[in-house]
Amino acid sequence: MKQIFTALSLGALFLGAPAFADAEVGTAAPAFTLKDETGKEHSLAQYKGKVVVLEWTNPECPFVQRHYSADTMANTLKGFDAKKVVWLAVDSTAHNTPDKSAAWKKTEGFSYPVLQDASGTVGKSFGAKTTPHMYVIDEQGVVRYAGAIDDDPRGKSDKKVNHVKAAVDALLGGKAVPTATSTPYGCSVKYKSS
Amino acid sequence: MAAAAWAEVPASAVGTGAPDEGDPRVEATLLVDSTQVKPGDTFRVGVRFRMDPGWHIYWKNPGDSGLETDVTWDTPGSTVGPLQWPSPNTFRTPDGFITTHGYEGEVLLFAQARAAQDATGQLQLSAAAEALVCEVHCIPAELMLTRSVPLGTETVRDAEAMRAFDAAQAKVPRPTADTGHTVQLALDAKQLTAGQDFTGTLTVTGPGGAALPATEGDFFTPERIEGVASVALTPAGAGRFKLKGKAEPDVPGAEPRLTGVLRLGTAASGYQPLAVDVAMAPVVAAGGAVAAAPGVKLPSVKDSIAAVKPVAAVVPAAAPADSSVGLGLALLFAFLGGALLNLMPCVFPVLALKAYGFTRMVQQEQGRVASHAAAYAGGIIGSMLLLAGAVLAVRAGGASVGWGFQFQEPLFVAAVSAVLVAFALNLFGVFNVGMDGTALAGKVDSSHGLLHSAGEGVLAVVLATPCSAPLLGTAVGFAFAAGPLTVLAVFTALGLGLALPFCVLVLVPGLAKKLPKPGAWMERFKQVLGFALLATTVWLVWVMGGLAGVDGMARLLAFLVAVGLGTWVYGQSQLQEGGRRLASVAVAVLVLVGAGVASLRFDGLAPEARASSTVARTQPWDSAAVTAALEAGQPVFIDFTADWCLTCKFNERTVLSRDEVRAAFTEHQVAFFVADWTRRDARITAKLAEHGRAGVPMYLVLSPGAPDRPEVLPELLTADLVVDAVKRAAECSPSRRKDGSNIVCAVGFPRP
Repeated sequence: MKQIFTALSLGALFLGAPAFADAEVGTAAPAFTLKDETGKEHSLAQYKGKVVVLEWTNPECPFVQRHYSADTMANTLKGFDAKKVVWLAVDSTAHNTPDKSAAWKKTEGFSYPVLQDASGTVGKSFGAKTTPHMYVIDEQGVVRYAGAIDDDPRGKSDKKVNHVKAAVDALLGGKAVPTATSTPYGCSVKYKSS
Repeated sequence: MAAAAWAEVPASAVGTGAPDEGDPRVEATLLVDSTQVKPGDTFRVGVRFRMDPGWHIYWKNPGDSGLETDVTWDTPGSTVGPLQWPSPNTFRTPDGFITTHGYEGEVLLFAQARAAQDATGQLQLSAAAEALVCEVHCIPAELMLTRSVPLGTETVRDAEAMRAFDAAQAKVPRPTADTGHTVQLALDAKQLTAGQDFTGTLTVTGPGGAALPATEGDFFTPERIEGVASVALTPAGAGRFKLKGKAEPDVPGAEPRLTGVLRLGTAASGYQPLAVDVAMAPVVAAGGAVAAAPGVKLPSVKDSIAAVKPVAAVVPAAAPADSSVGLGLALLFAFLGGALLNLMPCVFPVLALKAYGFTRMVQQEQGRVASHAAAYAGGIIGSMLLLAGAVLAVRAGGASVGWGFQFQEPLFVAAVSAVLVAFALNLFGVFNVGMDGTALAGKVDSSHGLLHSAGEGVLAVVLATPCSAPLLGTAVGFAFAAGPLTVLAVFTALGLGLALPFCVLVLVPGLAKKLPKPGAWMERFKQVLGFALLATTVWLVWVMGGLAGVDGMARLLAFLVAVGLGTWVYGQSQLQEGGRRLASVAVAVLVLVGAGVASLRFDGLAPEARASSTVARTQPWDSAAVTAALEAGQPVFIDFTADWCLTCKFNERTVLSRDEVRAAFTEHQVAFFVADWTRRDARITAKLAEHGRAGVPMYLVLSPGAPDRPEVLPELLTADLVVDAVKRAAECSPSRRKDGSNIVCAVGFPRP
């Protein structure tokens, strides 16, 4: 009887594997290797030992535009120790091109790479639904935060809490992440229709 | 519906937004359902959004992306209530990866408003509407809409606007408390574990127990639930839905509730949206580290037993009616309830029989006592697990069952009667049961072969099911609403409890030797027990009468005669040899099968309408009638019973039909309802489940002062208990309270 249950539950785990592929807090982040807008490859594995912030983005989305005009991302990154934290933007928009990313990066004047995921494979492996949708991955490659950049979807609060900043500060300080998930808000990721 | 139809709408009340290459994708209008409002009167105010084809705005839970549409009111001289949301549509990206909820075409988001008593002049109404308008890409829209409504001596409705508001109102999900639907959620675990999947069953019954209409498409749209990352329903038979969800890794402060819109009906028949709001369970952190592996954690019996200890001290205080029972407590209740079952009238004959067997065995074959006890316990637990398996199988088929459900099946009643008669005849010595071919050698008392012991265990279970014992209802009710493993665990605990007396007999050294010495009295005792079994058969025949009428009873009796004949022929064969013996056995089998085929047909037979039971003036249970009685200020007593339920009959005859109880019912004008579960009745099964029970008896006392909080009485009634409960319910009635009663109903009624 016991063996049967064990076999069944193991079977369920394997069968269920694709369903569990989302980057869930507390589990290892899905591995990936993507080229940035200049063609340089970045893999999650190469940043082991550093805290990695992933930002799903799409310059055409009004929510992303609002955060870039307010410099939310740049200001958040500025608050971290550059030796310990890596910031990677990922664009899973089906019709995005490296040239568009390069042009946008120049206009907005930020320094971190924009990873090119027009196929949507990496976005879907993380379960990224919105732009912006943020993930914080610890030094061992485990997801520690998934959700919105802050608690202010409408951009009107003067007392907003920046969840990404709180999560990274907690990780670097050896503390528990105060808010491990939040509901991401924004435009949907414009994935390639499959 | 051009703008011209709304001739009075001022330009300030109309706005456009979300410009897409110069073309606005949304038009919003501030609507009021009255052209003039009297101070103190209510009216409705809302914002109508019209989107270009293919564009949509969002519901209060936008889903995977998007943004909740927001309307902020500024209305000096009047107050505006919460925004009413018509039932939303569900949108999916072509790959199904992103799901959102909202409105396309046109929607009126509105609210109830009330003009202040002291308002003068004109009511100024301003709405700041904020919407994210999306097709594939999204454009935010911010609109300021204002208009004014004159105040007057009368409120004058605007027929055209009224139609728009009424249409929108019809699409707003109604709370189940208003529609009369009952919604019950049974999660498969007591708690949700942070970051882990959970499952459960949602049972919905229509007003008055009516069957639920079919559903189609995206019939359930959850609201945002703090602590729950996702939740979905799939239909699982009439009125039942499988719930699957996942808790967020964060543990919220409060217990999450399942809130959302359940859309009943189909596009063809029309939709009826219901607002569902039921408690789920607290979310607890995953064991220790947050890094727990994903996957379903199977509840282990070991964990549960460990959990029993601290809880056990609370048992006497915890009322059996409490439906929030944990697995540990359920297992303990099942075990104790199983042990108590031995004393109930259903099982007692078997117990006596077994005691008799032991007495003989202790003297003759001491070494085998332990193995017989094990066989007896094995028979009990084995058949308990079979019963659990049957419950699960029936449930998987979408039907709902309860404790003792098999007695709702005439063929089952017939089979049990036949076994009892055969058993009795065996005790009378009409035939022997020889398991090892030594029956006639007389060296070993073959009537107590190991298989025989196991068989007695099975019989004990079969006879136990129509009885309910204290604590048992709670445990089994818990199990029936839970997952397969819990069902198996609770039934095993129940079997262990039932087998307890004999295990104690074996395990406590010296106890077995204290049994009386066997002698000639034992043969007579055995035969007396045979009559006890026949008496049990009388009861089963009566049950059959309830199921299939006089004809059914006659058929069953005819079959029992054939069983007698068949076993007698078989008994004769045991005295014969060779070919004649085989021939006799063949005749016995032929008689049994032939009689069975000829007589056991109960389809289409129905019981005659019977005179009301032994209890005072009663009426058949019906939710609507109960509500009516409560509204009339009457306390309500509901007796959930069945003919085959001996505990129910015992309570009815010894307590409910007593003069003092009847007098109390008359004095307090109690409306007495009988919910008869003798035959299958899904409404009653659902009502039992609502109170955490899986079987009868169950007694509910409802007070007109607190109709939503019935008091559940224990399985075994006493006259005082019933009189007190009824009195309490009557004194909490609002009409009585005016007479200066100082009873504090919130405390005294019902029990927490």
